[in-house]
Amino acid sequence: MTALIDLERVGRTYDLGHVQVQALADANLKIQEGEFVAIIGPSGSGKSTLMNILGCLDRPTYGRYVLDGVAVDDLDDNDLADVRSRMIGFVFQSYNLLSRTSALDNVAMPLLYQGVSKKERHKRAEAALDRLGLADRMSHEPSELSGGQQQRVAIARALVTEPRMILADEPTGNLDSTSGKDVLEVLHDLNRAGRTIVLITHDSDVAAQGTRQVHLRDGRIAA
Amino acid sequence: MRILELIGLAVSRLGTSRLRSMLTMLGIIIGVASVVALVSVGQGASSGITNQINSLGTNLLTVNAGASFTGFTRGAAGSATTLTTADATAISQIADVAALAPETSTSQFVVNGDKNTTTTILGTTQDYTTVRAYQVWQGRFLTDPSEEQALRVAVVGSTTADDLGLTASSIGSQITIGGVPFTVIGILQTKGGTSVSNADDQIMVPLSSVRRYFTGTSDTVRSIGVSVATADEMSNVKSEITTLLEQRHNVSAGASDDFTVTDQTQLLSTATSVYGLLTVLLAGVASISLVVGGIGIMNIMLVSVRERTREIGIRKAIGAHNRDILVQFLIEALVLSLLGGLIGIVVGLIASAVIAAVAGWGFTFNPLTLVVATVFSLIVGVIFGVWPARQAARLDPIAALRFE
Repeated sequence: MTALIDLERVGRTYDLGHVQVQALADANLKIQEGEFVAIIGPSGSGKSTLMNILGCLDRPTYGRYVLDGVAVDDLDDNDLADVRSRMIGFVFQSYNLLSRTSALDNVAMPLLYQGVSKKERHKRAEAALDRLGLADRMSHEPSELSGGQQQRVAIARALVTEPRMILADEPTGNLDSTSGKDVLEVLHDLNRAGRTIVLITHDSDVAAQGTRQVHLRDGRIAA
Repeated sequence: MRILELIGLAVSRLGTSRLRSMLTMLGIIIGVASVVALVSVGQGASSGITNQINSLGTNLLTVNAGASFTGFTRGAAGSATTLTTADATAISQIADVAALAPETSTSQFVVNGDKNTTTTILGTTQDYTTVRAYQVWQGRFLTDPSEEQALRVAVVGSTTADDLGLTASSIGSQITIGGVPFTVIGILQTKGGTSVSNADDQIMVPLSSVRRYFTGTSDTVRSIGVSVATADEMSNVKSEITTLLEQRHNVSAGASDDFTVTDQTQLLSTATSVYGLLTVLLAGVASISLVVGGIGIMNIMLVSVRERTREIGIRKAIGAHNRDILVQFLIEALVLSLLGGLIGIVVGLIASAVIAAVAGWGFTFNPLTLVVATVFSLIVGVIFGVWPARQAARLDPIAALRFE
């Protein structure tokens, strides 16, 4: 069985003019469909770099990244955008919802870029919000929602395109412990339903939720 | 469909910051409004001139007697006594002269009952109405001079008729001109026009009568109005008249003529083209404010791109292509400029209607102006919207997401 994610000796170097910073070096990582992988490491360990590459927001400086059988390291900006749109749902630490925009429109937005009709967008966004228990919050704007609710709206947005994997970057970082647990429970539910989850965190308690843990230190994946 | 949705998105987005959007549009509104108003006013003014040209008489040439010299002192134009009725007869023989009316004038005190006025008494012939484009309102105009030899009959201009209290029923009544009783045989229609001398304030009597009762028996005339058959023959006829009169008056080659032939339509068409040039100049100046308005749009769009960097990052992360972002911001700029343009057109039309009403000429409404104004504001939107939109589209999603 081929892995959903296959990183082969992937590295990322940032050129800051006078110095070269090796943020990620020789990373080998395979993630199978349906896994719940927690990537853990202290700040500065290369978590964000790895997450940007896994999320197709950035390209590796060297190495190969095959996502669902497609080598994405040599795709152009538009193709990468399509891969993100089709394959990946993002959940960010700071939710990254559009302000002054209703929960429904926030959740429906990814479908806009897939060319889905307005009616269909609303139907699917409603279903996604309903699934996360936010059926009564659809017309609320982010500023009218609690942190936990905002993060659940963000998860609904990540889910609405039915992506192969959810990429969650410190999803509980801005939440109190109750809301954090809540969000992790949602991720578990999604994983039980067969969705691949990649969780990035510096918190070992959160990382313990994963079925597998990947440790990052100084830009290298620890064995 | 996507485009319609993006337009809807842009409108609602601009609606969330109404004051800012209004102020941004103001530059375009002022620019478009002033261009529309100036073009419309310019057209109104030049169509006013066209009306005036037509009211002077079609294809009109005027032969004026030159100035007389007393020693070295040049007198007023028309004071020379060299232009005669015989000259008029000779000119009437030229081919392409359609009609001709010799004119001689004097100023007299006119009385009708208890009303009086002092006005111009013009001696002329039956073709005067044709040459000078008058219409008879009541009664009739003068007829063949041979039948009206020194008859005391008068045709009154509309203003003079008002001054003297003459109405439709006054045909056949008597007025005294310079103490001499005349019978009113006709009243002319108002000609209007905005020339310095009022073309409706005069009394026309047979040429022979003016000579008999007021100016003496000399054969001279002040001027001869010549109507040319077609507009194309104007300059030909003008030079033929000049040659003819030079021969008749024995003007030696190189000496100055004792008469002038003026082509008034030509003068007025010059005035029209001056008006046209003025309109273009003013509209050019006004269009500078259109450019300034465009820069205002660009400025606000750049601010907007910066403020919404995070939004751009989010949109890109969840699958927006660069082109989607470009189109989104470009449409916002276009909505600003187009909406500003449309408001500007309305403001400009209202302004030009007010100006036309005050100036007293017809309000001309040219659909082409509207099309041009709309297209121009669109072009401004594209020119000044593309760069900020490209800035937005080129943002790196990672950096944009991290932007605070």
